[in-house]
Amino acid sequence: MLENKLTKKVLNILLGNGADFSEVFVQKRAFNNLRLEDSKIENSTSGYELGCGLRLWIGDSTFYAFVDSLEEDKLINAAKVLSSALDGSSSLKVLDLTGVKSSYRTRIKKSPASIYSDKKRDILKLIDKNSRNYSSKIIQVTSILSDVEEEIFIANSYGSFSSEKAVKTFLAVNAVARRGNNATSGYKSIAGTSGYEIFDLKSPGILAENASKIAVNMLDAINAPTGEIPVVIGPAFGGVIFHEACGHGLEADAVMKDASVFKGMIGKKIAGKAVSAVDDSTIKYHWGSYKFDGEGFPSSKTVLIKDGILESYIYDLRTSRKMKGKQTGNGRRQSFRHIPIPRMSNTYIDNGSEDPESIIRSVNKGIYAKEFAGGQVDPATGDFVFGISEGYLIEGGRLGLPIKGATLIGNGLEILKKIEAVGNNLDFAPGFCGKNGQSISNEVGQPTIKVSKITVGGIKDQDAE
Amino acid sequence: MQNNRKYRVRVRQLINICKDTARKIKKYNVDEFEIFTASSVDNEIEIFKSKIETLSFSDSIGIGIRIFKDKSVGYAYTTVLGDNSIEDCIKKAVSNSEITGKEEYNYLPVEEEYAHKRKLISDELLFRENLLDYRIEDKVAMAKKLEDLTRSKDKRITDIENVAYQDSIYETAILNSAGFCDNYKKTTCLIYVNAISKEGNDTSTGDYFGCGRSPDDIDLNHVASKAADRSVSILGGKKIKSDRVSLLLDPAVSAQFLSVIADGITADSVQKKKSVFEGKIGEKIFSADINIFDDGTLPEGLSSKPFDGEGVIKGRTCVFNKGYLKTYLYNTFTARKDKTLSTGNAVRASYRSTPEVGISNFYIEPSKDGFNELLGHMKDGFYVIDIIGMHSGVNHVSGQISVGAKGLWIKNSKPENPVKEVTIATDILNFCKSIEKVGSDFAFFPLSGYVGSPSLLVRDVTISGK
Repeated sequence: MLENKLTKKVLNILLGNGADFSEVFVQKRAFNNLRLEDSKIENSTSGYELGCGLRLWIGDSTFYAFVDSLEEDKLINAAKVLSSALDGSSSLKVLDLTGVKSSYRTRIKKSPASIYSDKKRDILKLIDKNSRNYSSKIIQVTSILSDVEEEIFIANSYGSFSSEKAVKTFLAVNAVARRGNNATSGYKSIAGTSGYEIFDLKSPGILAENASKIAVNMLDAINAPTGEIPVVIGPAFGGVIFHEACGHGLEADAVMKDASVFKGMIGKKIAGKAVSAVDDSTIKYHWGSYKFDGEGFPSSKTVLIKDGILESYIYDLRTSRKMKGKQTGNGRRQSFRHIPIPRMSNTYIDNGSEDPESIIRSVNKGIYAKEFAGGQVDPATGDFVFGISEGYLIEGGRLGLPIKGATLIGNGLEILKKIEAVGNNLDFAPGFCGKNGQSISNEVGQPTIKVSKITVGGIKDQDAE
Repeated sequence: MQNNRKYRVRVRQLINICKDTARKIKKYNVDEFEIFTASSVDNEIEIFKSKIETLSFSDSIGIGIRIFKDKSVGYAYTTVLGDNSIEDCIKKAVSNSEITGKEEYNYLPVEEEYAHKRKLISDELLFRENLLDYRIEDKVAMAKKLEDLTRSKDKRITDIENVAYQDSIYETAILNSAGFCDNYKKTTCLIYVNAISKEGNDTSTGDYFGCGRSPDDIDLNHVASKAADRSVSILGGKKIKSDRVSLLLDPAVSAQFLSVIADGITADSVQKKKSVFEGKIGEKIFSADINIFDDGTLPEGLSSKPFDGEGVIKGRTCVFNKGYLKTYLYNTFTARKDKTLSTGNAVRASYRSTPEVGISNFYIEPSKDGFNELLGHMKDGFYVIDIIGMHSGVNHVSGQISVGAKGLWIKNSKPENPVKEVTIATDILNFCKSIEKVGSDFAFFPLSGYVGSPSLLVRDVTISGK
């Protein structure tokens, strides 16, 4: 995407005033985004972006600039401005660039550009129809279909370069059900690093029905019980609890800044023996997968926790060098406008041995949390909260009535120790994760797990409608 | 090192791009069109342990084209402004307009909604030349000073997790086929600090920020004190028993609750039946005589602007008057659906997005009662200093709110002990009804929009702990 000669020239200008490292990140992207609401396609947006991010380091300081252009004079000017922030001199020089290899390979069968826009419209129309046909109580359906085709070229002053073409497709549906004054919603999504062939494997029509099913089920929800009680967390999206409460604390930038409860814990037992956890950016076609991370390092599988023992943090280039950890290919960025930082890819609690049904049967009085509305964590303290969007009472080892308004609150380190049982039904769910103002694609995942005690906040005793 | 002194105002460039693009669109068979351009020059600095952790510059520009054809709308944008790219962008916008649903309300703002005759806030107020005088070194020094100041406030502060400074010079121009063509420019700057404190085995964090149109507007000492205080005051926090209690909400917390209310009174969420305020115009929502405004003309309001994302004049809208809901907030599309005029609340995050409905400066009018009067009035209850999980803890359809909270337990109007890991559970309408008193200690916060509130005394709310 960028000529070899110009790439080297820019890298060398960036190095010129004493920098230890320089990098160019070139990105070209075409987006399409369709939104359905009120049974109509109410928004259809296309976007085209071309830009370049320039980065250099000196000591512990990072300097960054980006331009919305690949024109030679603009790139060189931006490199000069950035380099002028330093006042030293450098003997480092890039002479040759060698390509980095990645074993991650995918094949795109139905690229977004090859799909006519009326076909895309038909997918959303089907979502609307199936959602509403599921129940007359469904009063609103919102659905988003988006696709991205991009090309990325990365080169750095270590003399390596990488290039990658990627395609991403995302479909989400939110169904709202109403009975009297009571309104509830259900959300489901399909997403992958693939083209429209993803919908040959995962049916949008069934997705729509599943979203409606959650919304309708939740109409019968009673107020959640409160206090410290046993919680069984369901597979797939239940993994968001690990993502938020532990994953962010394992990102090496937080550890390096002493803003993580997992600092100094490598080799230590931090969870029950049943718990193993992994970050894997090489699972083919998954939403959080890639060929190279945002620094041109090949994707890889990293064991984070093995049988309860902490094995590795999640590193980008800078933190792996600084902390002398093995680079894990997790230096990710939202776009050429953003600095790469350690981020999760597809992060999950691995399969255990227990039957998920028997996990539920083992709880006399507790709750089953199936879907979450998202969550938030303070990595420095490990404190987290999660809103439960689909949950049920467990009474006498059986699933009971659905519950509403429930929130889980606790501490990542403590919860890990309280995981008593891990099921054998690992599954994944796609989503977006925000950190330092950057939103990127992630998958969370886990089998059914049981936590002996978590504080559940709800609205018990509140006057019911 | 160079500063922004080299910055040249881009009005002419932006207007020229608009005019060139308009000429190109004329070849296509469309009913109406709108061209939105924006440029942004940003500078961001993060300091960690007295050193520059990151320093970044950026200069970006882009164009977004909205096409109206047969009552359908299509949108496309590009960051590449060459003739061919703009031509492609127009083609995509036109083809996008061919698959969207038809709506009779899809047309540009009408004459009486445009700003160009009577701007309520001037460019001079929004654009502060002297931001350009600050060199990079000055900004770095400022961030380092905030780090030192915060650390020096209390010996239990062990680390400063993050000090971030950012500023921006933003220019925008809109041209549409109905004859509107105008521009404005503005400067903003913001500084943020997050302090980590430790005592015994307990760790606590507390953050605060300062913002304005230039670094001159920011009182670093105030930011440092606030962040330090928010961090150390909750050290040693413990869970408390689940109960129904009175809450005294810090302005930083009140503002987050207010932004939940803001989401509910945008016409878009009401019309799509995703708001608990649907059908409630004219009803008394707050028991207390609370006034809430959306005002795009406040000189100190960082979301102030002469016109909104569609060129509609941005004025002052009274949303709640003495507790009664008076109006929703509108862009032109949603206004027509309700047979009214736009309130100038079309918000565009950037050229990458179409105009949606959103707030500008949205705030609760303060009273004369100071914080201590509210504390005295409360007697026993939970003084909430910080909440987490608001973005995931709200169901806008049902109105349910459930968030994590920390703060101090108050007994006989005096702090008794720090509290953490409890949740507050309520719903939007009950929350509004339960507000008993509004304080005078008003502050604005940069949330999604600029949201302002004093402390609030709220009665009879469920909290869950042990």
